[in-house]
Amino acid sequence: MTLAIVLLFAAALFGIGLYGAMSQQSFVMLMMGLELMLNGALLATVGFWSLALDGAPEAQLLAIIVMAVMAVEMAVGFALVVAVYRARQADMTESIGTMKE
Amino acid sequence: MGGAVTLAAVILLGLFAVWSGCRVFVVDSMVRASFSLMLSFFCTGGIALVLHADYLGAATVFMMAVEMMVMAIFMIMFMMNPAGLNPMVMVHQNRLSIAAGAAAFALLAGAVLLSDLPDRPVDPARDTTANLGTELLGPSMLIFETAGVTLLAAMVGAVVLSSHRGRFGDTDAGACPPGLTEGGPPAGRRPEEGGGHGHGGGNG
Amino acid sequence: MTPLVLALPVALLAGAWLGAWLDRLVPVLWGRPAQGPFGPLRDGAALLARPTATTEAPDRLTRWLAPGTYLALAAVGLSVIPMAPGLAPLDSSVGIVVWGACEALTVIAVFLHGWSPNAPFPLIGAYRYVAIGLPVMLPSMFVLIAAALPAESLSLVQVVEAQREVWNVLRQPMGLPLFLLVGLTLTLRGPFDFADGADIAGGTSGQESGPGRALWQLARLTMLTAFSAMAATAFLGGPLGPGLPGPAWLALKTAAVMAVTVGLGHTVARTTPSQMLHPLWVGALPLSFLHLALAGWVAL
Repeated sequence: MTLAIVLLFAAALFGIGLYGAMSQQSFVMLMMGLELMLNGALLATVGFWSLALDGAPEAQLLAIIVMAVMAVEMAVGFALVVAVYRARQADMTESIGTMKE
Repeated sequence: MGGAVTLAAVILLGLFAVWSGCRVFVVDSMVRASFSLMLSFFCTGGIALVLHADYLGAATVFMMAVEMMVMAIFMIMFMMNPAGLNPMVMVHQNRLSIAAGAAAFALLAGAVLLSDLPDRPVDPARDTTANLGTELLGPSMLIFETAGVTLLAAMVGAVVLSSHRGRFGDTDAGACPPGLTEGGPPAGRRPEEGGGHGHGGGNG
Repeated sequence: MTPLVLALPVALLAGAWLGAWLDRLVPVLWGRPAQGPFGPLRDGAALLARPTATTEAPDRLTRWLAPGTYLALAAVGLSVIPMAPGLAPLDSSVGIVVWGACEALTVIAVFLHGWSPNAPFPLIGAYRYVAIGLPVMLPSMFVLIAAALPAESLSLVQVVEAQREVWNVLRQPMGLPLFLLVGLTLTLRGPFDFADGADIAGGTSGQESGPGRALWQLARLTMLTAFSAMAATAFLGGPLGPGLPGPAWLALKTAAVMAVTVGLGHTVARTTPSQMLHPLWVGALPLSFLHLALAGWVAL
């Protein structure tokens, strides 16, 4: 019962995050959408660990990995935003229709 | 903590997580958006605490506090209208995105509701923090170390990407803002002589 | 554990009063007359009686939420600290991580305090503080993890127990100085007061007056209390000591750390944020790596 509720919340967070990642024009807002999707994943992992896996430590490890993925996403994402801004003075997805220099 | 109290706490925190997650894309101000996202993460951390994942809960809070602070700084750096005093809509393919988000939620929720979920809760007396520690530095050490090396690679990559001086000279040499129309003249100000956006080449 | 939680507000308020009085005692160092013990209370009452200042289009909710959060963080931080051996108001198995979360959130509370009035000087203070606060958080984590190493536990109760024979300040000599640097940042003092400095007209509280300002100052002082208690616990053995009861020892050590922090805050000069960034990234961070490695070696 509790697990189903936790997973439903996780699904809702994932859905909102997907909406944000697809709809936002600003790179930074787009990354917020991605983070929200990962938040859903984190919540689902914690829910499964606590309520369905008898406390298997591997699930906690998976949650740590999700956090590491978030950190990597932030670091590389912001570096890309900075690089694109330097080259094009652009911070919107529409501004980079081409990968050409 | 009794089962009913746990359930109530999970529902309250979950509702707040979803509500603040929605707020991220509704509020006009970038600072409000990033701190709404932070609140959403804190609710996840809170649910982790309620569900006996002590370390994960506390770690989520401090990780996300720092991450969202960085996020807010970048928001203000890159967005027009950082204070959010003017209303602003910056979305594309809005309907498609709403449909995709709703479909993702419907699919996942359907999977949750239709599947037969196992019920093997963790023993509250278990020392979950010590469990995690022995797992990290025991059977799963390779995974943990790989994650560490990945983070290091991400740091190096981030520095390389955002460094002002590249192999072929300044990264913004000859940079030009995109046109307002397809193939039109560049919008906004042109970068000054010697690169940099307004620092007068102070980085070079 | 519930009765001890009731002691928290008393401890926080007493610590805030002591911190405020120590602030007013500092002129003694250069031979000037100092205020008596009622000075802080008089100043606080005067501050409360002043009218509230308003700015154009502020974020009203955040304006009260920021000092409130700061105060709450100090309370949460203090609540995981054992007041007697084996007895903490909130006996968390990950007390050190909880304190780390409070530290990280302090940066956000200060940022929001500067952002919410929608005025230039507070915002400049907020940005400056974040630029300095984030790199300071990194050594802080290493120092705290090093303090947890001899205890082989993240629980502060265990950290205290592990110091029965020798205090961490002797085992890890670099820990306390590095942690004092963190404390000066957390409480916006002296060389790390980039948020509320006089050089930007009061910074994040430049537009504050009346009860809001009083609450902010109270929150800063309670954070000073929580930080001093944390330093006393992680490095000076907390409530351990001969003769006196545990809480008395903790109070004495907390007061000592507080006096050192206040003294440093008033005697060390502040430089510009850009100059401060260099020693933080190039000096303090590698030093804290080295400290952690040494602490690990000693603990083995």
